[in-house]
Amino acid sequence: MIRDHHVPRGSTLFDVNRHSFLRILVFSAVWWVLTGSDISSWIVGIPAVLIASKLSLMLSPPSQCPLSLLGALHFIPFFLYQSFRGGIDVMRRTLLRQQLLDPGLVSYVTILPRGSARIFFVNTISLLPGTLSAKLDENQVTVHTLDRGMPVWANIQALEYHVAALMNISTQKKNCL
Amino acid sequence: MAATKETMEILYNCGTLFIILGLPFFLSGTVGLIRFPDIYTRLHALTKADNVGLGCIVCGLALQSGSWAVTAKLLLIWLLVLVASSASCHLIARSAMQKNIEPWTRS
Repeated sequence: MIRDHHVPRGSTLFDVNRHSFLRILVFSAVWWVLTGSDISSWIVGIPAVLIASKLSLMLSPPSQCPLSLLGALHFIPFFLYQSFRGGIDVMRRTLLRQQLLDPGLVSYVTILPRGSARIFFVNTISLLPGTLSAKLDENQVTVHTLDRGMPVWANIQALEYHVAALMNISTQKKNCL
Repeated sequence: MAATKETMEILYNCGTLFIILGLPFFLSGTVGLIRFPDIYTRLHALTKADNVGLGCIVCGLALQSGSWAVTAKLLLIWLLVLVASSASCHLIARSAMQKNIEPWTRS
């Protein structure tokens, strides 16, 4: 089981600055992508980036477990491949003459901590082949599946493992500090 | 990007291929919306098929654009659509569950 992370009280000034700096960098990149090389757009862009960074820090405070680069390198191909399979699966079921549906609800208890990891997990379930997250109650996710014959549990477990690796969450009792 | 005319041509044709590949996904999403029996199964069809279709079309357009800035913009669009569609899909399914709409079952 994983305990919820608590943001440490009295985090040093350096940490706060590093987090704000990262967000400012990310939002600046988004602004640059949106507006292109037009320098005068930064008259609006700089205040917008600063406000967005401040708001994002208020709405979602920096977590203790930052994204893992290695986890991301594993997650992105996994996600792309699985969502492609999901698309093919839906195409097969819609376009064939006889309908291949055997829907049902499956319950799954996640070990991911509450907060961004769990929300990310629930949202990505809907993009995997044959599964759709219908309800989230604390750590219990209700999943709707198109075909009860599919290995729904194994698929969700694989996703959970990848999300844990992405968010630097240990699946053992020990937490990252 | 400094590319010769031939590589540009190859990239452009690859892009066209990706766009053509994406179209059947959109078609199947819409067919699923009409053919599938209940709200949950329809959500499956819409979110999954459309996301893959859009992914293919974004890839195709990025290859055709021949510019990194446009590629980044297209990827950002795809990412935002992914987030929006999976979140709204979950919210629609959740509100259907709260209204006690029973999922269709084969029987």
